[in-house]
Amino acid sequence: MTEKRSYRRLESTKELQRVMTRYYGMSNYFRYWGKPLGRKLAWVTSGAPVELLRVFKIHPVYPEQYGAICGSRKVSGELCQVAEAQGYNQDLCSYARAHIGSILRPDLAPMKGLPKPDLLVACTNICGTVLKWYEALARILQVPLIVIDTPYQPGEVTPQAKQYVLRQLEAAVVELERVTGVRFNEKKLDTIAEKSRQVTTLWREIKDLCAAKPSPLNAPDLFIHMAPIVVLRGTDTGVKYYSLLKKEVEQRVQEGVGALEQEKVRLVWDNIAIWPHLFKFFKMFTERGACFVADTYTGGWAMDFSEGNTMETLATTYTEVFLNRSAQYRARQIIDQIRQFDADGFVMHSNRS
Amino acid sequence: MTRSAVEQLVETASLTGREIMERYPDRQFFGFTCSYWPEELVLAAGMEPLRLFPVNTRAMPPELPSFSCSLARGVLAELKGTGLKKLAGLGQAQTCDTMQCLGSIAQGAFPEQVLELVPPVLLAAPGAREYYHEELKALWQKLLGLSGEAAKEENIAAALNIFQRMRQLVRQVDEMRPRLPSPLVASLLRAGQLMPRQEYVTLLEEAVTALAGYEETGTGKIGILLSGPVLEKDSLYLMIEELGGRVLVDDTCTGTRHYAEDPAEEAGAGRAGSVEGLLEQVARRHLTMPLCPCRHRRLEERSEYLQSQARERGVRGAILVVRKYCEPHAFDAVPVAKALQQQGIKALVLELEGADVGGQERTRLQAFLESLG
Ligand code: SF4
Ligand code: SF4
Repeated sequence: MTEKRSYRRLESTKELQRVMTRYYGMSNYFRYWGKPLGRKLAWVTSGAPVELLRVFKIHPVYPEQYGAICGSRKVSGELCQVAEAQGYNQDLCSYARAHIGSILRPDLAPMKGLPKPDLLVACTNICGTVLKWYEALARILQVPLIVIDTPYQPGEVTPQAKQYVLRQLEAAVVELERVTGVRFNEKKLDTIAEKSRQVTTLWREIKDLCAAKPSPLNAPDLFIHMAPIVVLRGTDTGVKYYSLLKKEVEQRVQEGVGALEQEKVRLVWDNIAIWPHLFKFFKMFTERGACFVADTYTGGWAMDFSEGNTMETLATTYTEVFLNRSAQYRARQIIDQIRQFDADGFVMHSNRS
Repeated sequence: MTRSAVEQLVETASLTGREIMERYPDRQFFGFTCSYWPEELVLAAGMEPLRLFPVNTRAMPPELPSFSCSLARGVLAELKGTGLKKLAGLGQAQTCDTMQCLGSIAQGAFPEQVLELVPPVLLAAPGAREYYHEELKALWQKLLGLSGEAAKEENIAAALNIFQRMRQLVRQVDEMRPRLPSPLVASLLRAGQLMPRQEYVTLLEEAVTALAGYEETGTGKIGILLSGPVLEKDSLYLMIEELGGRVLVDDTCTGTRHYAEDPAEEAGAGRAGSVEGLLEQVARRHLTMPLCPCRHRRLEERSEYLQSQARERGVRGAILVVRKYCEPHAFDAVPVAKALQQQGIKALVLELEGADVGGQERTRLQAFLESLG
């Protein structure tokens, strides 16, 4: 007897797969053609101001996302052991260990590892680990490392923090000019930042549509469909993809179609996804009619691009992300989500990675 | 019979925060956890800085996940207990993700008393100095608010002088390391993070004079470089000494690194009693002092610094302590061990739950020291 499905698949998933396959294909293309064509590739953290890189036509690749891929393909364990054999402690972040393992043993790694970068760009707004992780990468690969220090904001974002980040972004521009040999073009940055604003706005609007009852999306949908928001900010492809997804989600709302066959309980999810068991884990909830109508994690990329000169906007936007804020701020955010999405409860996932 | 200054310092180093506060009931103590906390500001604002150490490293306060380091867990347990109720406040300098969470939790529990300071992570980044200056300025106002004191030039000048003298004396003690038992030096230095600073300087002056004639030689001892986070007890130093080693370079948060300053910067430091001078001085020291793994100036700076320290002091082995679940120190242990090994110095990475060592560590340390010959 076949098990009754309690979960609806989104049509856009096919396009998502196409978009992401193209993105990884493109990354792979850099492996062979980057050098002869003089195009650079950077490994960047998920919260880095990637708009700046795009001005210089630098292709960004995301080790964190790769860490998640290793997790979902269930090869993290083996790759982590490779890193551990080199002295990396087994309590260190498993994304970092798996990724370091993939550099040392590409034969064990999905896609034979990520294409080697010409430079590394880390922004501390998501956690302190990335500084140490990227330092390790810079040592292994012997390529330039740009770190943007976005000071943790215990309260409101301070003017001195904005100014400090701005100064670093300006210095990063000089370094990027040096690495690529290309002159910085402010107009181009404006255009790219505008696309980022559109992408993040669309993403926020999609997430907001889940206030409908039943909710058109469940957290695993958001986790899966967040891939382009991480890798395609500042691109037309990103804008196009999220316009398509938004249409489908809007249609679900108009037709009263929910993510689940029958939504009985509305929940909010806090923290990162459990990548190796994404659907298996959430099945426990979907089978009981519990839908995660909102989450904090994917909201990290639903940023509000503030007004003003683009460099200032980037400095502020990337400093005020929720991961760079206090527990009080984050608790308020969950409370607001519970209210906005009329949730019955929330689940906090304590994650070691 | 009056006890010598050395005895008094060693005894003080074994006290808990609560016991220190009981011993000096007329003082207003202000707690802090990280070596990047600007103690000078606390003293100039009329309070006594008191470094908080975990008393129970097995404590598991529910607010923090069990996979947080025992320093954070133990300090939180202390804060929640009654022992530290009398603290005028708590200062959290942003260090690692764990401490960031601890700061937030404490902030939620004692909103009026917890002051957070976010020093730059990239100490040499453009704009870092200006940013940090503003951060310190805001903190200074909050400290005055807590202590209820007004900014006084004489207090500022006195605080700067006390810390300058203290660091000079610690340098002298550090120079004496080859002749002094390692646990003794560890205690002398830790006492300076606990007791009122003026009293500490007075006792340390006396202790340094007394120790100048100390005869015990370290002949035959194996010189060790010790690097790591906070070590709130002498247990490891004692074991190293018992097994024939001697710590000649102490790059721990409670050891020499806590007091270190770039000699070039120290020479240029003004002794002015103005608020601006005070903030300048603190910022300058923090931006230039030897790195801890949570900060960055240049990729290989920390490894190179430890290599040069090892060379200068002629150490034969290095012990790199990692507190269980501590990411910054665990990450750094890899390149630091490699750099030292390239220099012919064997390195042992020792993971500890807290600062206590037991039978398991003894076996490893013994094998390690024997391998150094
Ligand atoms: S390791 Fe650095 S940040 Fe952590 S307590 Fe020590 S000095 Fe502070
Ligand atoms: S020991 Fe490590 S994890 Fe713990 S507070 Fe210090 S730097 Fe953070």
